[in-house]
Order: sequence, then C-alpha cells, then structure tokens
Amino acid sequence: MSIAVETDQVYAITHEVFGAMIDPEPGYLRPWEGELPAPVDPLAAWVDVHGELAGRAAVICETAAAHDLARALLRMEPGEEVTPADLVDAFGEVANVVGGNVKALLPSQGTLTLPQVAAAVPPAPAGAPVHELALDWRGHPLAVVVWLF
Amino acid sequence: MIRVLIADDSRVMRQIVIRTLRQAGYDWEVREAADGAEALQAVRDDEPDVVLSDWNMPEMTGIDLLRRLRAEGFGTPFGFVTSEGSPEMRETAEAAGALFLIAKPFTPESFREVIEPVLA
Repeated sequence: MSIAVETDQVYAITHEVFGAMIDPEPGYLRPWEGELPAPVDPLAAWVDVHGELAGRAAVICETAAAHDLARALLRMEPGEEVTPADLVDAFGEVANVVGGNVKALLPSQGTLTLPQVAAAVPPAPAGAPVHELALDWRGHPLAVVVWLF
Repeated sequence: MIRVLIADDSRVMRQIVIRTLRQAGYDWEVREAADGAEALQAVRDDEPDVVLSDWNMPEMTGIDLLRRLRAEGFGTPFGFVTSEGSPEMRETAEAAGALFLIAKPFTPESFREVIEPVLA
C-alpha cells in the first residue's frame, strides 16, 4: 500500500469519515501534538485486504474513546450506555470504512475482510506499518495504522 | 409510500443509512436484512420498491444477492451502499444491474444525488 497510497491520502480519508459519519461538523479530528501515548485500555478495529496487494488498516484508541465514537455514530447522549454488540459493530465500521476507502486507492482490487475488533491487532506478517497516523479526536489519542503485507 | 429494504450486516450502519435517508427527505417505509441471504428471502417474500445493500456481508455478498435476484427474475431497483467505491467495483455493480453505488462515508446530499435521478 505504501507505493499506491500516501500518508496524506490516509489522513484525508480519515478526516472525511469522521466529518461525514461521526461528528456533526468537521474540525474535531486533528493531528496529535507530540508522541501518541500508549493506550492504557486499548481497543483496536481492523480490516485486511487479501489479493495481489495485501494489507491491513486499523484504528486503535482507548476503549473509552471507542465508546464515545459509538455514541457519536449512533447519535446517543453523552454517557448513555453502549452495549458490547454496538461497541464492536460501530468501532468495526469505522475501520471498515477507512479500510475500504484505502483499498479503493489501490491499483489492483483484492478482497476486503469483515471488520474485527479486539484489545490488540494481531501481529502483521510484514512487521512494521507503512503509515501510522497519530490523531487527536476530541482530546482522545487515536491511531490509524496501515500495513503492507 | 416507497418501501425500501436495507441490507447490511452492521446494525449500526443500517441505523445510519435509515437516518441519512430521513435527513435526505426520504420518509420511506423501511425493512432491514442482516445479510444477503436474509435480503434475498425478504425480496422473495414481499418485493420492495428498492433495495439498498452493503457489498461485503457474511452468508451472501451484495453482488451475489443482486445477481441472484436478477437470475430469479426480480428487476427490483438496486443500489449499493458500500465502503468500497473503486471504479472496478462500480463497473461490476453496473454490469450486474445496479442503478447506483453510494460510497461510505456518505451524506444526505450524496444520497439525494443518486436517488433523485432514479425517482425521476
């Protein structure tokens, strides 16, 4: 994906996803100032692309931030309880839409997996990511990470 | 009233599609299906006026759903709402008989842009 997709494009996609689906208006997602702190209680959502060009796109943040993302997606009130099923569903969809749009930039189209959600992303076959965005969403640290296998 | 069947394995995304339809001004009667196979049965049981379907779903994908519907003689107007909006997928969708493909993330405006010409 590093050949076909630039970091700026991943940033633009993430911005568009948050602006259209999550926030009522743009401006709540910005680059994180400094080094992104390691999450204490992390939650990760990711999709894989299988095919000639294979890879993975993941969104990683604190579980509390994932709850806020789910509330925002579902237009719930602050503090309203998010069911475990809705948390997995909503957070997975964020990764799915980001990953699907990254995949659409690739010159050859593989197959996108269904989104998965867990405390940590499984080890990537190719090791280090090719893009790692450190973002600030409403004060929450949030990483968008893309690997090329 | 137009009757729409929304097929997506994500309940959250179905809710967002329904909300966006309302925001776009389409006060349609909505039924939901959690995958392609469920949507196929829902059309067989009671054909809607339009199907809005995700592409990537368990059991039966959206494109397989569309091909199966056409093979069974259903000409139900069909549009995709999917995170994968590459030119290749748009061509595949059109060749199978889809009227449009709305790429996620979408807005009420992007819904109106593709739905208005179909309604006209």
